[in-house]
Amino acid sequence: MAYNGRGRGVFIKHKICRFCADPSLTIDYKDPKTLSVFTTERGKIIPRRISGNCAKHQRMLALAIKRARNISLLPFTTAKVKMKEY
Amino acid sequence: MRRYEVIYIINPNLDAESLSEVVDKFSDIITKLKGYVVKINQWGKKKLAYEVKQFDKGYYVECDFCGVPATVNELERNLKLDDRVLQYITVKVDENVDPDEVMSREQQQDTVAEEGHDQVLEEG
Repeated sequence: MAYNGRGRGVFIKHKICRFCADPSLTIDYKDPKTLSVFTTERGKIIPRRISGNCAKHQRMLALAIKRARNISLLPFTTAKVKMKEY
Repeated sequence: MRRYEVIYIINPNLDAESLSEVVDKFSDIITKLKGYVVKINQWGKKKLAYEVKQFDKGYYVECDFCGVPATVNELERNLKLDDRVLQYITVKVDENVDPDEVMSREQQQDTVAEEGHDQVLEEG
């Protein structure tokens, strides 16, 4: 993740995978709370490069989120909240 | 024998005994087809994330059982046919599991839970 490459490469803070660092945090499709941390307000799954998860846990997370959506614990998409113009 | 977990949502507007009748119906199906129901956990009425068949609330039931694939096919066929069930999902949890050992471990957990409960009463 850290590019200290030649020339253009900008050093990016090395993100750690939350599930590797904290074993008590389990991925389970039955509890939407820990899953909703990894979805945007629109209900979409946050990509790995932003959430910093490792590939293995990101796959498990995506599968769990899709299963939770199947039994409507998580929304597929949420309506766009129109900002009120004052 | 494999260990499965099925979660299904029942129409929330049913009264209490028809809800329990639906739950008993599906656990009977599992036991009839050489399956072992390990645990039934009813989450009760919850708000759905999106509307399902014009309902925005649903009665969630989680059933943990051991069975052979034929049991699951028959269970899912019935879940699809029954119109009181809004949605369901079955997940394979574990492969080649010995049901008797699972059941005995389950009984221990229940007794441990009760003992823990009694101690709290005495101390409290």
